Amino acid sequence: MSCMRNTMKVAKWEIKRNMKSKSFVIGLFLTPLIFLAFLLVPNLFSSDDDAATTTVYVNDQIGVYDQMEAVAADTEWQMESTQVTEREAESALEGEEDAAYVFVTEESVETGTVTVYTNEETNDGFMDEVQILSGPLQMAQIEQLGLTPEEAGLVAQGIVFEDASVGTEEGGLFSANMLERVVPGAFAALVMLSIVFTGMAIFQSASQEKKDKIAEIILSSLTPSDLMQGKIIGYFVLGLVQVVVFVVIALPVLIWNIDFPIIEHLLVPELLVLLLIAILGYLLYAALFVGIGATMADISTAGNFQGLVMMLPFSPFLFIGPVFSDPSGFVAQLGSYIPFTSPGVLIMRLSLLEEWPWVEIGVAIAILAVSVWIFMKLAGKIFKTGILMYGKNATPGEILKWIKA
Amino acid sequence: MLTVEGLGKSFKNKRIISNISFEVKKGEIMALLGPNGAGKSTTIRNIMGIMYPDEGTITFHNSAGKEIPRDKIGYLPEERGLYKNVKVMDILLYLAELKDYPLARAKERALEYLKKFGLEGKEKVSVEELSKGMGQKVQFIASILHEPELLILDEPFSGLDPVSQELFKDEIRALAQNGTAILLSSHQMNLVEEMADRLFLIHRGTRVIYGTLGDVKKEYANFKCTINGMNSGTLLESLPEIERVEQNNETAVLYLSRNVQPAIWLKNLPEELDIQELSIDRISLHEIFIDIATDKNLLKEAGELHA
Repeated sequence: MSCMRNTMKVAKWEIKRNMKSKSFVIGLFLTPLIFLAFLLVPNLFSSDDDAATTTVYVNDQIGVYDQMEAVAADTEWQMESTQVTEREAESALEGEEDAAYVFVTEESVETGTVTVYTNEETNDGFMDEVQILSGPLQMAQIEQLGLTPEEAGLVAQGIVFEDASVGTEEGGLFSANMLERVVPGAFAALVMLSIVFTGMAIFQSASQEKKDKIAEIILSSLTPSDLMQGKIIGYFVLGLVQVVVFVVIALPVLIWNIDFPIIEHLLVPELLVLLLIAILGYLLYAALFVGIGATMADISTAGNFQGLVMMLPFSPFLFIGPVFSDPSGFVAQLGSYIPFTSPGVLIMRLSLLEEWPWVEIGVAIAILAVSVWIFMKLAGKIFKTGILMYGKNATPGEILKWIKA
Repeated sequence: MLTVEGLGKSFKNKRIISNISFEVKKGEIMALLGPNGAGKSTTIRNIMGIMYPDEGTITFHNSAGKEIPRDKIGYLPEERGLYKNVKVMDILLYLAELKDYPLARAKERALEYLKKFGLEGKEKVSVEELSKGMGQKVQFIASILHEPELLILDEPFSGLDPVSQELFKDEIRALAQNGTAILLSSHQMNLVEEMADRLFLIHRGTRVIYGTLGDVKKEYANFKCTINGMNSGTLLESLPEIERVEQNNETAVLYLSRNVQPAIWLKNLPEELDIQELSIDRISLHEIFIDIATDKNLLKEAGELHA
């Protein structure tokens, strides 16, 4: 009972201490802003490009300009008929911005090639887009062959390869259906990343406590496990503060920018499972951070061993490739059962899979929960001894001895 | 207030302390003395529950259960510091809160003590801006802010200038007078000599002396006579009741035997003795301490004689 109270006092202190520190508050607001910058700045540039219309000059010698203008109605082009010769076009382009010259001649119909002149200013996508002008030309070709209108229509229709594979009726990776599943997953990933990144400060907090030599003063008032748990809870709350700030800043911008009902798809029952995974993941990494932090005199003197352990939270990134290519595959399943990769891998998989493999999820969460319990115990043992060892880093051998003690 | 019985602790196969027994009573200053590495801090850390003893018992008489009554103990560890990037008042209040001390009261007392220690107006200053001495004062305030019944100070004077030392000494004395039981460890004998009621001298993890200051002096600190003058070593050694002579040019220190009667001994000094200056006094705690730390046999002999 009094233990829990002491834990909460420590948690409160860590929260207060960080909220009063300038660097934490700056980071709090900078993180969502940087995220938005990465997301939106490329968008700004591309929309600039779209706004600038490409002027397309057509030198039509076979009388298909009207049909061409009709098929180009959906593009951002400014179509203009011209009598400029190919030679003049080259010099004219030097003075133009984002323009192209298209020469449709009798020869074009016979050979099926149309000469297009562009300059450096011309929109990058133009050469792909210009293919739509092939329609009217094909019609002209077909007419030359003297087919009946029915025959001509059939040929002009061309052949379409229809994608009939299972589950992809909705099309590409980011179709609406896909987004429905990605939104809760992305939010859970955001929660986990926020609390894990904020939680990395636990590590600094523990080693700072040693460096400032205050640990023994604190431990005259409470037990090492009170102190450790207080830190873990405190930084968890700080992580949630980061999530709230993130959501408050980024969500309105996202909703305004992305034409998709985000909130509606965010607040689904599946989110609870995802958040549970995120929280278990945090607790696992927090145990690591606090334990390792207590073994180190100074962050700058981190040994290879400590550095390696610090990298563990990033291990799910190793699975990104295999999981995305096959969310139900062997590697993806394996990743779900390894404690350190499972939070990340599970969140990725559950964002991709339409049907959730509930048995697998249950087993994975059970493994994760047991690991959290074990690593908390181990961290407690390391923390108890490590936090009072001033002035030097503990070797892996020493750490092993503390665990055995 | 506190009773320690038969305390023993080993690290790996090395014995750090063994069979340490003493008690600290209400309103007294009990000094735990010994050279560096004697086992003072280990003893204190065992009392504080920061380490667990291999053997022996520690009893807090103000606590009903087996639990250490942390709220009633003030502790200033030897290895001490404060969070760097927080304000003085914030850290003081946090440490008081950990002791379950009422916040308003803590604030009031903190301001009072800051003023007393010449840190008035520093409560909103960040800890990292304080000088080392100021930091030490804040740590000391933190250890007494919650009105502990038992105050444990591990090397409280280390790194303090003489003015601050006096300030600390006065405050410690005042606390004892108000009924606080104080356990104080130090290797600075001269400082402790004037304020401790009782002392426990520890060396290599075991007890050397334990008792009141007067008793210790009477029992262990024999008389010594310092003579300035041109005297031969043989003459000095032929004097009665002499245990040992240390001669350095014209100055000779004669260590007298335990049962010497100073007045009679002085009367019996031979006339040929050249005396420019003469003083007779007891061996100071400082000398006993140095003697133990450097493994001379002066005290051992005294101890054996008495055993």
